[in-house]
Order: sequence, then structure tokens, then C-alpha cells
Amino acid sequence: MKIVVCMKQVVDLAQLRFKSDGRTPVLEGLPMILSAFEKHALEEAVRIKEAQADVHVIALSAGSTKLKETIKEALAIGADEAALVIDPAIKDTDVSGSSRLLAGAIEAIGEVDLVLTGEGSDDEYSGQIPSRVAARLGWPQITTVRELALAGEKRLRAVRDMENSLEVVECDLPAVVSVTSELNTPRLPPLTAILKAGRKPTQEWTLTELGINADEIGGKAIQIEVLSNLAPEQERKNEMLEGTLEEQIDALLRALEHEGVLA
Amino acid sequence: MSEKVDVVIVGAGLAGLGAAYHLAEAGLEVLVVERGDYPGSKNVTGGRLYLNPVRPYFPDLLGDERIGEVPFEGRVVKERLTMVAEDASTTVEFQSSRMGEGPMHSATLLRGVFDRWLGDVVSERGAMIVPGYKVDDLVWNEGKVAGILSAGDEVLADVVLAADGALSFIAERAVLRHRLEPKHFAMGIKELIELPPDRVQERFGVQPGQSASHLFFGSLTQGMLGGGFLYTNRESVSLGLVLGMGAMLDKGDVFQAHELMDAFKARPEIQPLIAGGRVVEYSAHAIPESSVNDMPRLVCDGMLLAGDAAGLGLNMGITVRGMDFALASGAIAAKSILEAREDGDFSAQSLARYEVALRDSFVLRDHRTFAAMPSFLENPRLYTLYPEWVSGLLGDVFWIGKSPKESLWRTIWNRVRRLPWISALRDALKVRRL
Repeated sequence: MKIVVCMKQVVDLAQLRFKSDGRTPVLEGLPMILSAFEKHALEEAVRIKEAQADVHVIALSAGSTKLKETIKEALAIGADEAALVIDPAIKDTDVSGSSRLLAGAIEAIGEVDLVLTGEGSDDEYSGQIPSRVAARLGWPQITTVRELALAGEKRLRAVRDMENSLEVVECDLPAVVSVTSELNTPRLPPLTAILKAGRKPTQEWTLTELGINADEIGGKAIQIEVLSNLAPEQERKNEMLEGTLEEQIDALLRALEHEGVLA
Repeated sequence: MSEKVDVVIVGAGLAGLGAAYHLAEAGLEVLVVERGDYPGSKNVTGGRLYLNPVRPYFPDLLGDERIGEVPFEGRVVKERLTMVAEDASTTVEFQSSRMGEGPMHSATLLRGVFDRWLGDVVSERGAMIVPGYKVDDLVWNEGKVAGILSAGDEVLADVVLAADGALSFIAERAVLRHRLEPKHFAMGIKELIELPPDRVQERFGVQPGQSASHLFFGSLTQGMLGGGFLYTNRESVSLGLVLGMGAMLDKGDVFQAHELMDAFKARPEIQPLIAGGRVVEYSAHAIPESSVNDMPRLVCDGMLLAGDAAGLGLNMGITVRGMDFALASGAIAAKSILEAREDGDFSAQSLARYEVALRDSFVLRDHRTFAAMPSFLENPRLYTLYPEWVSGLLGDVFWIGKSPKESLWRTIWNRVRRLPWISALRDALKVRRL
């Protein structure tokens, strides 16, 4: 069984800082990491691999040259190999282009039984990739999955998180499945696994090698235009508490009660 | 589980990365284990690196050709030194064309930026840097260091380089260092204050790409060993205090470091320079300030110490150094490891070549030259009596009062004869030993 996990390389949002206006993010110089939701997808793939024989897990990603470094984490967690699409044109693409090249890579890998993705990425969280990839491949898709099990040779059973209810569905493989963070707790790979990760095979393609034209994922093909990327404006009450320490504590408690923070 | 590499380096600071740079270049399999989220995330510098001593050890990186790629904040072209009295201060400013032209003399930097860059350079050369992992212990084999243990996982190596900082846990585990004494350390506290680049340039009189350095000593440390520093960056200033830990302990419970910092920031010499700025980082760190006489053994069977872990920090009074020693000791350690590897011998005897090479280099030569400095700097008169005296004298010289002005000579003489001459002479004699 061949499982492909689509993993996005994103800037480390934990280290994000804002310019002095408090709203403009400083994206330059941030380290790149693997998006957190996809790590749940990878963890699930590795668990399936550990539970049964003959499962091959491939971590698939697309982006800049830094990717080779970033993807090592996926290899350390337990992917058997990495498949990377590295091309400067990828920088300017949108979800349509990304799904085009992911589907292209999945076809190039060949004989894939299951594609796992996160429900959305850490940075944009559009949540469109799983459905778009499934549509391009012509495969069934199950989104927002919080429990996953193989049901027989080529069948999958999944529990979907519907906010107020759970839905149990089954489908035949191959399929595309997007997972939520409730699915599992991703492991922290041991140091020795990280060392071994460097020795695992990595397959690399450019767009041309996948038979994709740069126009198909960039330029006019781009359907989404980013108008603004700012942190939401936050209204602060800026209430200063005055008086002695005792008075300030009383005033703070009253204010917290008033705001409904304290019952 | 267990894996084997050629060299494990503990700590991705300047010593660790400096060594990894050369070892990876030589084709060795190198693992650098870093506790922080990324190289530089747990490091603090006041702010400046002296380049002349380290350039020969990193000609490709710091030579004229590639120096433009190094993410320095600015080339230091202006040196200020302020003696701070209770309600007055005296400042000396030094500028020379030598600092602004030709190969860079010194540059300000931020560790989060600089170390991360150096980490990327080192990774490209083939070393493996793993952040977010703590080394819990050393692995021993027949009395020799044989590797490291992290979260129950063993990584074996021919040799381990401990570059894990001022409070090196590894040096202690290997009993290379016996006792940590407060007087061998200082504490640095630092705020990074963000200001628009044009404001930094205006306030400090520097051009884009240039920086100013400003050191302070005197009443701001209330008689304790230490001082203040201010370095300008591209769009921020690094402002902080360094306080001797021994002196802080002697001061007792009443003492609060952050209150000294607040008082420092509120001083009229500082306040206008940082007005309107936003504090974006606050950090504190231990600084090794022991004299060369208290330095630990730097090698044992299968292991070496470099950088702050080896106690390589030096307060020379007017200049404070550590990062250049860290980089150079890393490079020297790498060279010694490569030589030991050729001999196929990583015993303490074989690795002792590192100690010899360090002694012959500027690293320990400078430490020996300034060996008397740490005890000299413990003298509280440096922080109270003399700054007050100088400011008092200049105050008398500059002040025009109601009554007729005394002659310049008499004004000076009045101050000179009020100096406690016996202590002052004793201090002057000590200066000769520095």
C-alpha cells in the first residue's frame, strides 16, 4: 500500500513579529517548518505503516530549495521517502496551481492508494487543497476526518467531524482524506531518527519534469488575488487602575467580573 | 536506539557553529545539537563582534569578498564612553577613519539573526544542525567520552565538542570544571528597543550601514562591578547592563537588577536616545568573566570545550569580548580534531594539542595579558569615587556662579587635593599591572 502525505512548508508562525503598526507581519527571515495539520496526517500514515506490512509512506511537498532541509522532519517522523517539486515558479502560485502540481506529482509517483492532507495549512488555512486534488485525480474525498481505519483490502472507514455531529463514511481506495488535529498526537522524532532521515531517499522534480507549464500554475492561471495581509485591528480598553495596591487589586477584580472573565 | 557520527557538537552558538563549519568542510559527519528552537534563539550579546582577530580563521566567510553577505547590523564607526556620576556624567567620543574604511574592524549584530545565518551556512556545508533537542548526559566508554544521550537516545561519536555556553552542563558532567563561583560570572540583561532606521541614524549620527557603540560605567551599577552598554542596530538599539554576580550577591536581598535597568533607562543621557522606542525583546544571560588562572582544563578523553563553555569571555575594562573567542576557539578545536583524527587518537593527550594551539593564539594570549583585569575591576571606587570626581571637577570648571570665578589652576587643585590620595595611588599602581 502506498500512502502519499501532502505537506506544506510554511513560515514558523510562532516566531512571527509585527511591524511597529502592530498589524503588518514581518515575513522576511522567518524559518520554514512543516505545517502543523499535515503532521497529524503524517502521523496517521506512519501509524498505519507500523500496524501492517507493506505500507510505503511518501512525504510530498512543493516549494523552494529550503524544502530539502524542512522535509527532513517528515523523514525523521517516519516517512520512507520524500518527493519534492522544487521550482522558482511555485512561489507565486495559488491553491489552484498548488493542487495542479500536487496531483501531477501524485500521478508521477504512481499506484498511490491513499493521499492524506491536513484540513488546512497553518499559514492560509483555505482548506481547498484536498478537494481540488481529489477533483483533479477523479478520486473520492473525505474531509475533516478525526478517526480513520482501513476496512478491508481497498476500503476506508472514516469518522468526520461535523462540528455538532459526527458522520461515519466509507469509500473505496484510492481516495483523498483530510484530517483534523483530533486524529492523533504527532510524535517528536528521536535524535537517532533525525540522523537517519538524512540518509533516506528524496525524489525531486521541476515543473517541466512533471509535464507542467509554469503558466498553468502562475501568471494568468492565478485565480486568487491577495488584497491585504494584516493582523485584525484590536481595540484595547486601556484602563489604568489607580490607588494603593489593595485598591488596584479590588478594581482589577471588579473589572474582570464586569467583563465576564470571572463568574 | 543508537547511531554513530564522527563528531557531536553540543550547542549551535558561535563556538559550535565555528567548529562545525570547518569539520563539515573537511567532509566529517557532524551533528550539532541545539537546545533552542533555532541557532541563536537562546543566545544574548550586548552587541558587537571584533572581526580582525577572527578573520584569519574564517577567510572565506569574513574576507572582503563575502563580508557583504553577513547579516551584520552595522559597522561600528563611533565609540563613546561615559563615566556616570549620581547627577552628572562625562563622555568621551572617539571616531577615526580607520574604523570606517578598509576591512571591517567591528560590527554590531543580533544573535537571533547572525547565528541563524551561520547555521544555514554550516548546514549547506553538510553539517546536521538539530534544534529543539537537549543533551541530557554524556555516554562513557571505558572512562572516555563516547557520545551523548538525548531523551533516552544515544548518539555515539569519535569526539564530542562541548560548546554549550557559560554554564556548561557538559563541562560539569565531565568534571572538567570543579566549582562555579559567582565571582567568575557576570549577568547581562538587555532590552532590544525598536526605532525607525532614520531615527537611529539621526540620534547617533551614523549613516546607513553604520553603528555606534556606547559604554557606561559609574554610579549606574551602585558600586558593583559592571556597566552599561548601548549598540545601535539597523532598526533598533541594544541597551543593557552587565553586573558582576559576586558583587550582586554581596549586595544582598535588597537588590533588584531590573530596577537598576529602569533607572539606567530613565537617565538623561539615555532617555532621549530611546524615546518613542518599543521594547521588542528582553533577555538575560550569564557571562564568563573569570581570569585565565581560573580556567578549566579544556580537554578530556574524547571531548573538548570551546567558547563560553571553556570560560572564554574577557572584560578588558573598556572593551568586552567573547564572540570572537568563541568563533576562533571553535575553529581551533576543529583543526585539533582533524589532526587527532589523522593520528586516530582522541585521548586527552592527543587532544591537548587544542590547549597548546589556543595558548599560542590570540584567544589565550589576550586572556593572559588581561589576567589581572577581573580583580582590578572589582574595585568599587571605579564606579563611585572616580566618576564622581571627574564630573565634580568638570562641573567646577564649566560652572559660572555669582561670585568671581577662581583661576583654572585653583579650581583643579581644589579637587585634586580632595582626592583620597592613598587609595588613589594604590589604584594607580594596580593600573600598571593591567
